[in-house]
Amino acid sequence: MALQHFELHVLLAMLRHGSETYSVPLVLELEKRTARPVAQAAVFIALGRLEKKGLVVSRLDEPKGGRTRRYFKLTRQGLAAVKAHREEHSRLWRGFSRLAKSIKA
Amino acid sequence: MSWLFSLIVRDADRRAIESDLAELFELKRRTDGDRAARRWLRRQRVLYPLHVIGDRLRAIPAFGRRLMSHLWRDLVYSARSLIRTPALTATIVLTVGVGLGATTGMLAVIRAVLINPLPYADAESIFWIYTDNAPYRFRFSVVDYRAFEQDHPAFSDIAAYQSSRVTVSEGGEADRVTAKSVTGSYFPLMRQRPLLGRLFEPKDDTGGDRIAVLTAPYWRRRFGGDPNVLGRTMTIDGGRYTIVGVLEPADGPLENGVAFFTAARWPEPKRKGPFFTMAIARLRPDVSETAALTTLKATNARLFPIWRSSYQDEKATWGLQDLKSRVVGDVGSTLVAALAAVACVLLIACANAVNLLIARALNRGRDLAIRGALGASRGRLIQHLLAESGVLTIGATLVGLAVAAGTVVLVTTYGTTFIPRLSEVRMSGAVLAWLGGLAIVSGLIIFAGGLVPALNSTRLRMDHVLRSSGRSTTDGPGARRLRHALVAAEFALATPLIVAAVLVLLSLQRLNHVEVGIDTARILTAGVSLPGGLYPDEDSRREFWQRTLTRLETLPGVERAALADSRPPDDAGQSNNFELEDRPTPPGQNQPICIWVGASPGFFKAVGLRLERGRLLDAQSLQNDEVVVDRAWVQRFFPGEEVVGRRMHQGGCTTCPWTTVVGVVGTVKFAGLDTPDRGTIYYPFVDLPATYVVLRTPGDPASLVSPLRQAMRELDPNLALTDIATGDEGVSDSLVAPRYLTVLIGMFGAAALILSVVGVYGVMAYFVQQRTRDIGIRLALGGEPAAMRRMVVKQGLRLVLGGIVVGVAAAFLTARLLTTLLFGVSATDPWTMTLVPIALMAVAMIACLVPARRAASLDPASILRES
Repeated sequence: MALQHFELHVLLAMLRHGSETYSVPLVLELEKRTARPVAQAAVFIALGRLEKKGLVVSRLDEPKGGRTRRYFKLTRQGLAAVKAHREEHSRLWRGFSRLAKSIKA
Repeated sequence: MSWLFSLIVRDADRRAIESDLAELFELKRRTDGDRAARRWLRRQRVLYPLHVIGDRLRAIPAFGRRLMSHLWRDLVYSARSLIRTPALTATIVLTVGVGLGATTGMLAVIRAVLINPLPYADAESIFWIYTDNAPYRFRFSVVDYRAFEQDHPAFSDIAAYQSSRVTVSEGGEADRVTAKSVTGSYFPLMRQRPLLGRLFEPKDDTGGDRIAVLTAPYWRRRFGGDPNVLGRTMTIDGGRYTIVGVLEPADGPLENGVAFFTAARWPEPKRKGPFFTMAIARLRPDVSETAALTTLKATNARLFPIWRSSYQDEKATWGLQDLKSRVVGDVGSTLVAALAAVACVLLIACANAVNLLIARALNRGRDLAIRGALGASRGRLIQHLLAESGVLTIGATLVGLAVAAGTVVLVTTYGTTFIPRLSEVRMSGAVLAWLGGLAIVSGLIIFAGGLVPALNSTRLRMDHVLRSSGRSTTDGPGARRLRHALVAAEFALATPLIVAAVLVLLSLQRLNHVEVGIDTARILTAGVSLPGGLYPDEDSRREFWQRTLTRLETLPGVERAALADSRPPDDAGQSNNFELEDRPTPPGQNQPICIWVGASPGFFKAVGLRLERGRLLDAQSLQNDEVVVDRAWVQRFFPGEEVVGRRMHQGGCTTCPWTTVVGVVGTVKFAGLDTPDRGTIYYPFVDLPATYVVLRTPGDPASLVSPLRQAMRELDPNLALTDIATGDEGVSDSLVAPRYLTVLIGMFGAAALILSVVGVYGVMAYFVQQRTRDIGIRLALGGEPAAMRRMVVKQGLRLVLGGIVVGVAAAFLTARLLTTLLFGVSATDPWTMTLVPIALMAVAMIACLVPARRAASLDPASILRES
């Protein structure tokens, strides 16, 4: 499953945050980790795309007199996609230090 | 941007996003401060639609992207070429944009007000049931409603309500709001649900605690949206009411401006009137309106004999009208007239744009012919023109978007007093689609107009073009005829619009000169209502009003103080029927009806009303059942006869004592400046629960506002003054609708005039430019400059005259549309129909004179040298 850079960030933030979450904790988490402002719109839209790809599922919670929230949860495919990305990256990074040294030399 | 946001994000997600943004805003406010957090929130709101659009664009497949890139290149090229002629581009973009935007804005208003069903479930089946006393339509009385409750075979649900202004007093602060007292069947009929708690049920009609249901806006405003509001009490008109629920958000006309609903506890009536109750009903799906009307008439016929002693009008019956027509009233013609005006401006703007583009294409004739000779295909040329029209249309659409939003804001801000349902006007997706549709049509018109000369130029032979230097050979007869026809069309469209603008202006001027009948410059009026809980009976009210008059008369600067339940020129307290002793109503006929004004004896002198015969009301008038009538009443019932001493039965009550006319005063406008005088009867004001305080001063009436407020606070701090206005302000406020219409149509008339004049100027300037060499030769051969001037002006006026003749004919044909909007002037007023065309010809002549003077001042020697 092809994942955009930011989508991967959102999935990782979701993993850190726990089972079910909404956009606010994710924005805060991403701002903390990346040390730059993150638009809530970007997170919400990315979550929408991830849902279309089947990597997250969502439900709308509208309590009477309370805040309306859309809660998102990572699916099994979502977790698998993160793992696959990690493995792919690990393969790509393998031997990097040696290669970097040789270029310096 | 909120409308764009609501357009591209689903409702449920929008609520979630708003909630998340609010939460992040709170966090930001704590960490970064209020200002930074607000700035952050603003940025988020602006960026949201852009993020969504970006996301959608990314989803377009590669092929589409390639296609868009080609289109984009063409558009950029066209934009660059248009920027080189900024005046022409700006003129087209702005004029077409204003036309597009204003038309779309008016369509948005018309859609919400006239086309959309009322925002209630199955709204088409809801009807207003009224007392039909042609030409009048009255509300029901409680007696009527009780009878209707017992017998309504054609309707599945029925309900009733009474609207009133009430005083809510909490912690020494009094607030005047609109409330509705509704039967328990009201909410089930409207199929509305509670947001919190519960709504009323039929069992609430029979007794128990006094209870209220808040509307959502009032709940938020007054209680800060507190979910624990249920069970709290509020003091309404001196009585304690328990809040049992909050109504779901609703912006229909029956909830608009209403603060809360109370459960109806109407006392059992002792007589047929008064007629203050709105009855509504849902028609059964299997019953036609005609069949329903028959059942209503039958119920009324059965009811009539029971209450004959207090209501003899046997001819009056019951009728039904669908709730939407009742709510919308006769505002339709005003809106359609405004739409016709803006549509005319749009068409004129398009015609003007085509004209300007033709001129541009003709000037580029050599350029186009050379490109053709170098191998550019006709298809490529058309593609380029299409892109050019596209760029202009995109620009105009963007301007139109802003103008449409502005039009909606203007209409909804300034039209609330006389256009219903404005709370429902939205820049919705459908409205934007209309803007898009209009923009495409306008774009195609512009494209088609520019196409003719461009195609001509590709047919030209290269050598011809290069040989002709001074005069473009692309100005073929087709293009010339099209340009001339367009100028004529502009004047044909502008003429009826300018005629309409002049007529509404004349109408407003006539209204301004209508005699109100009182000395408006010296009086101040303010509404006061006595809460039923604090002033439950006639004695308490009578005592309070007496105290009020005594106190107000001692205020510094007050010459006289009085009370009346009506206020000139457009607030008549009530209309009532009566039976004259000397003119008994023939069997089967309606009793006469006129305005009845409850007035304290000092009212006549306070408003400067002159006594014409007999005497005024005095302290004994109530016991003696005496009334004063006005001149219009005398002319209507006893022209040329003595009326003092004539007697009548009030409200048709045959068992009541006779009421005697003791005097005649001048005519006063109470039913609106544009309404014919049908007579007014003044009866002694003593104990009415609501009234206007009238103060007369030798100085500036506005200076009495503050002492009046202070005095009323001293008299009773629970009372709130409403609708405070000087006499002149009252008159001015009553003209807000015609003034609004005049400004609106006047503005569009002026725009049409300017565009048409620009059009004829453009054509004639081009005419002179094209004929520079001919004119030079004629001047060199001894032609008179004056003859050249005459030739140009004559040519221009010939075009304009044709358009104006068609325009005048159109003005006559569309006169019917204006009739209901005019006062004191005919829609086919001969002076207007004569002078407007003459004035238009004069303006067109001035526009032609500029190029004509240029033609006359040409130097033949230099022209011949150049060619």
